[in-house]
Amino acid sequence: MTPGLNHYLVVSGLLFSLGLLGVLGRRNLLIIYMGLELMLNAGNLALVSFSRFNENLNGQVMVFFTITVAAAEVAVGLALIVALYRKRQTAHVEDLTTLKF
Amino acid sequence: MNSGLISIELGVGLLGLIVLMADLWIAPAHRRYLGWGAAAALTCLLVFGLGTLAPQSGTGFSGLYVVDPLARFFKAFFMLSGVVVLLMTVEYADRLAVGLSEFFALTLFAVTGMLFAASANDLTMMFVSLELITVTFYVLNSFQRGKLASIEAGVKYLILGALASAFMVFGIALIFGSANTTQFPELALRQRELSGSPIFLTGLAFVLAGLGFKIAAVPFHGWAPDVYQGSPAPATALLAVGSKAAGFVLLLRLLFGAVPQIATEWRGCLGGLAVLSLLYGSLGAIPQRSVKRLMGYSSIANAGFLLLGVAAVSPAGSIAVLYYLAAYCFTVLAVFTVLCVVMNGSDADDMADLAGLGVRSPVLAAVMTLALASLAGVPPLAGFIGKFLILRAVIAAGATHPGYYGLAAVAVIGAVISLYYYFGIVRMMYWGGESQERSGIAMTPGSGIALLVCVVGILYLGIAPHGLLQLSADAIAPLQPSGAAVVLSEHLGVVTPGGASR
Repeated sequence: MTPGLNHYLVVSGLLFSLGLLGVLGRRNLLIIYMGLELMLNAGNLALVSFSRFNENLNGQVMVFFTITVAAAEVAVGLALIVALYRKRQTAHVEDLTTLKF
Repeated sequence: MNSGLISIELGVGLLGLIVLMADLWIAPAHRRYLGWGAAAALTCLLVFGLGTLAPQSGTGFSGLYVVDPLARFFKAFFMLSGVVVLLMTVEYADRLAVGLSEFFALTLFAVTGMLFAASANDLTMMFVSLELITVTFYVLNSFQRGKLASIEAGVKYLILGALASAFMVFGIALIFGSANTTQFPELALRQRELSGSPIFLTGLAFVLAGLGFKIAAVPFHGWAPDVYQGSPAPATALLAVGSKAAGFVLLLRLLFGAVPQIATEWRGCLGGLAVLSLLYGSLGAIPQRSVKRLMGYSSIANAGFLLLGVAAVSPAGSIAVLYYLAAYCFTVLAVFTVLCVVMNGSDADDMADLAGLGVRSPVLAAVMTLALASLAGVPPLAGFIGKFLILRAVIAAGATHPGYYGLAAVAVIGAVISLYYYFGIVRMMYWGGESQERSGIAMTPGSGIALLVCVVGILYLGIAPHGLLQLSADAIAPLQPSGAAVVLSEHLGVVTPGGASR
C-alpha cells in the first residue's frame, strides 16, 4: 500500500499536537522552543503533501518561506534565551516573574 | 512583474540599511542625529514617494501584492507612526545602553514589514510580512539587555509570537490544501463551495488565531500587558500602533476581501471575542499602577472596540475601524511620547512618577490629558468620533440581528469604565500631591515635533472628521464585492449604492 494524502495529514496533525503539548506542558524554554519548531514543521509537512497530491507547486514555495522565517526566528530566539540565562541563570518559565501585576 | 510597485518598501528597507552603514562612520556621541536623518528621510518618502512618485494602483508579483486605496491608507498610517517613533527614540537614546543605530534600523525594518502587510493579497505574503514585523519586535522588545524586565518581555513575546506563527502556518497549509490556492481574490471566487469544507474552516480559524495574536484580542491577549510594560517605550508605542494596525488591515482583507460570506456567518463569534476583549481590557486596567501596563490593558480593550467594527460586517463598520485606528494612532503616540520625556532618567513608569506633572510641566500635562481624554472618548476629540462611528455601525447592523444591540450596550459600558482608569492618570498629574522633583522638564525638539503632530491630529480628526472619513470610505472600496465606491451622506452617514449591504 502506498501512503496517501490522509496518511501524511494524520502524521502532520500528530506532530502539530505533540508540539502544542510540548509548548503547553513543558517548563523549560528550550524544550518549549523545540515544540514550536515541531509545530512549524508539521505545517510544512502538510503543505508539501497537499502540494504533491494537488499537483500545485505553490505549497512547496510557501515551505521555503516558512523554513527561512523559522531559521530567522530560531537565530533571534536562541540569542534571547541565552541573554535571559546570562542575566537570570535559569531557562525555566516559572522564573519569569519580573513582570506581573 | 512590476517592481515599481514596491518602491516605497524598498526605499524604507534601504533607509534602514543606510542607517546601519552610516553608524560605522559616526561617533557614538552623534548617533542620535541618525534618528533625525531617518525621520526626515521617512517623511520625504511619505510625502513625495507615497504622495506622488509611487504607482497609485496596480497588482504585481503574480497577484501576491496589490496597491489600492486601502493599502495606501495604511502605508501612510505606518510611515507616519514610524516618523513619530523615530523622534521618540531620539528622546529615549540615553536609556538604550548600546546600539542606538540598530534601534533606528530595526524600527525602519518593522515599518517595512508593515508596509508589505498593507499590500498583502495572498496568504504567503501575509505570513512573510507578519513575520518580518514579529521577528523585528523580538529584538526591539528585549533591546535593553541590561534590564531583566526587557529581556523577559522579549522572551514572552517570542514564545507566544512563535506559537501564533505556528498556528498560522498550519492554517495556511489547510486552506491551501482545501482551496488549492492562497490568493485572496481566488478564495473569494470559490468561497461558496469552500464554506462547506471543514478543513478550510479549520484552516481559516487557525489563521484568524494568528491574526488575533497580532491585534491582542482575547483569548490571544496574554502577552500584551507584560510585553507593554517591559519593553522600551518607543518599541511599545510601535507595537501598540503599527503591529495592531497591521493585524487589522490583514483581518479586513482576509475577512472581507477573501471570505465575506463566511465572515457574515462568523459574525457572532467575532462579536463575542470583541465583547470579551472589551470587558477584560477595561476591567484589567483598573487596578494597574504602571502606566505602560495600563496601556497594555487599554490596548486589549481598544482591540475589542475595533473588532466590534469588524463584527458589524458592513461598509460603515469597516470605515469606522479605519477611522478609529487613525485616532488611536495619534493618541497612543502622544501618550508614549509624553512618557518618554517625563520618565527620563528613571526606568520605572509607576503612575506616582507622574504626580505633580501639572506643576512641573503644564504643557506636557495638558497634552497627556488631551490624549487620555481622546482615548476615553470625550468629545470633540478624535477618539470620540472613532467610538461614535463604531457604535453607530453596530447599532445600524442591529437591523440584521438583534444581538448587535447587546454588543452596543457592552461597548458603552466598556467606554464608561475606561473613563475611570484614564482619568485616574489625569487625577494623578494634577492632584496627585507634590513630586520629589520640582525642576522643570527638558524636552528635545524632536519630541516637541512629535507631540505637535499628535495634538494636531487629535484635534483635527475630532473637529473636522469629514476629510479622513472620505479617505476611509475610498479606502474600503476594494473590499466591496462589486468594487463600487462607498458614498458618504451628510451627518457622517454611509450610503451604499443601491442600498445593498455586504
